[in-house]
Amino acid sequence: MKRDNNHLQPNPDPSSSSSLGGGSSAGKAKLWVEEATQQDCGMDELLAVLGYKVKTSDMAEVAQKLEQLEEVMCNVQDDGISHLASETVHFNPSDLSTWLQSMLSEFNPPSSFDPFGADGTATATALDDSFLCGPAESSTLSTLDFENNNRQHQKSGQQIFEEASCSDYDLKAIPGKAIYSQNTQTQPPTHDSSSSSTHNIVKPEKRLKSSSGSHSDIFPPPPPPAGAASYGIPSDSIRPVVLVDSQENGIRLVHALMACAEAVQQNNLNLAEALVKQIGFLAISQAGAMRKVATYFAEALARRIYRLYPQNPLDHSLSDVLHMHFYETCPYLKFAHFTANQAILEAFEGKKRVHVIDFSMNQGMQWPALMQALALRPGGPPAFRLTGIGPPSHDNSDHLQEVGWKLAQLAETIHVEFEYRGFVANSLADLDASMLDLRPTEVEAVAVNSVFELHKLLARPGAIDKVFSVVEQMRPEIVTIVEQEANHNGPVFLDRFTEALHYYSTLFDSLEGSASGQDKVMSEVYLGKQICNVVACEGVDRVERHESLTQWRNRFTSAGFSPVLLGSNAFKQASMLLALFAGGDGYGVEENNGCLMLGWHNRPLITTSAWKPANNTSPTSTITY
Amino acid sequence: MARSNEVNLNECKMVVPLNTWVLISNFKLAYNLLRRPDGTFNRHLAEFLDRKVPANANPVDGVFSFDVLIDRGTSLLCRIYRPATAEEPQPNVAELEKPVAAEVVPVIIFFHGGSFAHSSANSAIYDTLCRRLVGLCKAVVVSVNYRRAPENRYPCAYDDGWTALKWVNSRPWLQSQKDSKVHIYLAGDSSGGNIAHHVALRAIDSGIDVLGNILLNPMFGGQERTESEQRLDGKYFVTLRDRDWYWRAYLPEGEDRDHHACNPFGPNGRSLEGINFPKSLVVVAGFDLIQDWQLAYVDGLKKAGQEVKLLYMEQATIGFYLLPNNNHFHTVMDEISKFV
Repeated sequence: MKRDNNHLQPNPDPSSSSSLGGGSSAGKAKLWVEEATQQDCGMDELLAVLGYKVKTSDMAEVAQKLEQLEEVMCNVQDDGISHLASETVHFNPSDLSTWLQSMLSEFNPPSSFDPFGADGTATATALDDSFLCGPAESSTLSTLDFENNNRQHQKSGQQIFEEASCSDYDLKAIPGKAIYSQNTQTQPPTHDSSSSSTHNIVKPEKRLKSSSGSHSDIFPPPPPPAGAASYGIPSDSIRPVVLVDSQENGIRLVHALMACAEAVQQNNLNLAEALVKQIGFLAISQAGAMRKVATYFAEALARRIYRLYPQNPLDHSLSDVLHMHFYETCPYLKFAHFTANQAILEAFEGKKRVHVIDFSMNQGMQWPALMQALALRPGGPPAFRLTGIGPPSHDNSDHLQEVGWKLAQLAETIHVEFEYRGFVANSLADLDASMLDLRPTEVEAVAVNSVFELHKLLARPGAIDKVFSVVEQMRPEIVTIVEQEANHNGPVFLDRFTEALHYYSTLFDSLEGSASGQDKVMSEVYLGKQICNVVACEGVDRVERHESLTQWRNRFTSAGFSPVLLGSNAFKQASMLLALFAGGDGYGVEENNGCLMLGWHNRPLITTSAWKPANNTSPTSTITY
Repeated sequence: MARSNEVNLNECKMVVPLNTWVLISNFKLAYNLLRRPDGTFNRHLAEFLDRKVPANANPVDGVFSFDVLIDRGTSLLCRIYRPATAEEPQPNVAELEKPVAAEVVPVIIFFHGGSFAHSSANSAIYDTLCRRLVGLCKAVVVSVNYRRAPENRYPCAYDDGWTALKWVNSRPWLQSQKDSKVHIYLAGDSSGGNIAHHVALRAIDSGIDVLGNILLNPMFGGQERTESEQRLDGKYFVTLRDRDWYWRAYLPEGEDRDHHACNPFGPNGRSLEGINFPKSLVVVAGFDLIQDWQLAYVDGLKKAGQEVKLLYMEQATIGFYLLPNNNHFHTVMDEISKFV
């Protein structure tokens, strides 16, 4: 009984099964199928169903490792075991062999084990030694462990890192509005370089020549099939549902919404119109989250029926406000930033100059925490360069510049050398690596970050491929991606509608418990805009093309990236972050093959994953599938 | 100590298939990391290591599932498993709670194991097991995500079980066509078996009919050290030391293992004579060190005049029902389907 990604979405609409977005995607779909088959090849099926990937041919070896560990743990005192439990960072428990090996390496000197014999053995010379503790390949970095006030476990090299690290990610210091409250200035700061020890550079904002659809000449878009954007890779067919509302009216409402969507799909607009009105009545009698969700979906359906498509794109100042309220109200963005920053921080270990390229700049809320963590790094902070990319604003204000100035001010107060440049672009696909003033990899380490932006590229054929290619040219140490965990990009409207209905119902339900007032309303409006886009828009206007982790994994691996694993330290800290949210009893973090998911009542809602180009080899915790 | 461990490892490797051995040894290893000597539990690492699967409203092998929040106050979730029908191979997600069609549909309320501290309803091992039960018994299975020790001690798990029982009993869509009643069975393995017993106990005189209990390697114990505990300590994945730890984590502080939760037929237990208690199917594994307590449980039921069937699987270890690669598994599944 396999529940893996071999199942194709059951597709009642046969014509749309051929709507792959362009020639390259067909090739990729084939690659995906091949890879999936390869993945199954030799895996013990029974264990695979239970979540463990062990090749049948490796079974005896895995058993041996278990025995060895058992023996070692018997001989070692309780201290050793507790060290393994609280200090060691664990990665991807599904890959049993590697996990066991990394624990064995904790107890044995690195020279006696060579688990992969490939990249990531003790060629730590390129890195600053003080950050490496234990064998590089075992991926056991020391953890940022709050609870452990007992600094007894001192390994050489670990010592320094741990002592400083307890304050690195002091959760109380995760800034929200605080950074932007009193100190905001609108004019550029005047730097008296003789008095300040840091040298902040905020370069003038660059506007990318944004064209109406196509990107640079190097990648002419392939002729798109009629009406199709890049659905590309078939989705997995997992449809997680959690019912939080069993009221009678709730069920009737859902029925009406589904019936209306079906009518719309069949182009039976008279029926659809009648149903939309009925939904309105039903929604009024409903309470709480379901009423709000139904209202947004009904409105979106109405727009579709009456062809009153929403204005796109949204005015920037309003979307900024909505975004900020969403950030404050619920933990999704904070989780996204937190987990991405953790991965970036680890990837930047030992680097003296770092460069973050942020595809999702917005108000730059992700960066103060990272900058503070870097500032507190033992051995001092690296030089920090930030390139922020965002859409143009309607009033032609230099909003990206303003964000840059605020961050520069922060950098000055925490003594981090800071450089900033903003790029305005209609689409990430308008970017070329040459524009970014990239410096040699030996000099500057790059991280690419994207929170809820990548899916928008799926609206235009070829765009995502262009961006993957450009990212590869950046030669990043790490690419951090946060995306909605949902399939809202299937070819069949009714399926998309259904998925979205369940997804946003769950999301809205999670908001109900949070503090009331303006924050919450704004967050709902923020989500409502997404709903509208998923339901009412089509073609290049439909940008909220969310896809699941399985689908993104396929895209990344097809594009030549390998996973960078997020470990138990990030998991734990994210969990603790969630505990700070009142009314947050339903939130939970899940580990999925090196990625972290945040969910509400066991329904995963957003996923953080990390990647690096497959041909980049350096001793971070990577595996290739 | 090290030497006798070697012997132990070799012994238990011989009685189970290799992949089963790997699976259970892996759990044993992980669980050793999670239990702290001071009685606290490394919950973050536990959740990180546990392999979970989401619910799936798309049928896989004829079974689909969805989660329901049945009590917001305690965040009590249940995962419901239903068979996809021939008439409706792809269930409408707006109709997940569509009334059951048949004359008689057994509803099995399942309590997962984990010694009260580990696992969840969405743990892969239990999601898999519950799916099997659907096909096997042509049943709807409701897997309860009860609160766990040591953060939530006795009686939280029983309370959650009771809440789930009441909820199931009050669902119109779970009523069998024949008599418009919900045909309820309680089932569980390890601590889940213990919970099933105590929830059945609570159901007595409540007006809720429980038609049967299915206990797989149920977790019972007592102050006394029994012969099987001494003989099998540390031999087949489980040690007395860890059993003690889990009881200390679950039972109210200061209580010993003769507390009635742990030892229902012990000095503090309640007599079941003359009580309308459901019939029981109790599966005992021959290599389970607590079998003396499980056998005593069966005896206790018999002496109280209750209907009970014992399945003693001589060569079975704990967890044999997690993988379908052994005869015990098939025997037991067979018996369960006949029982329901």
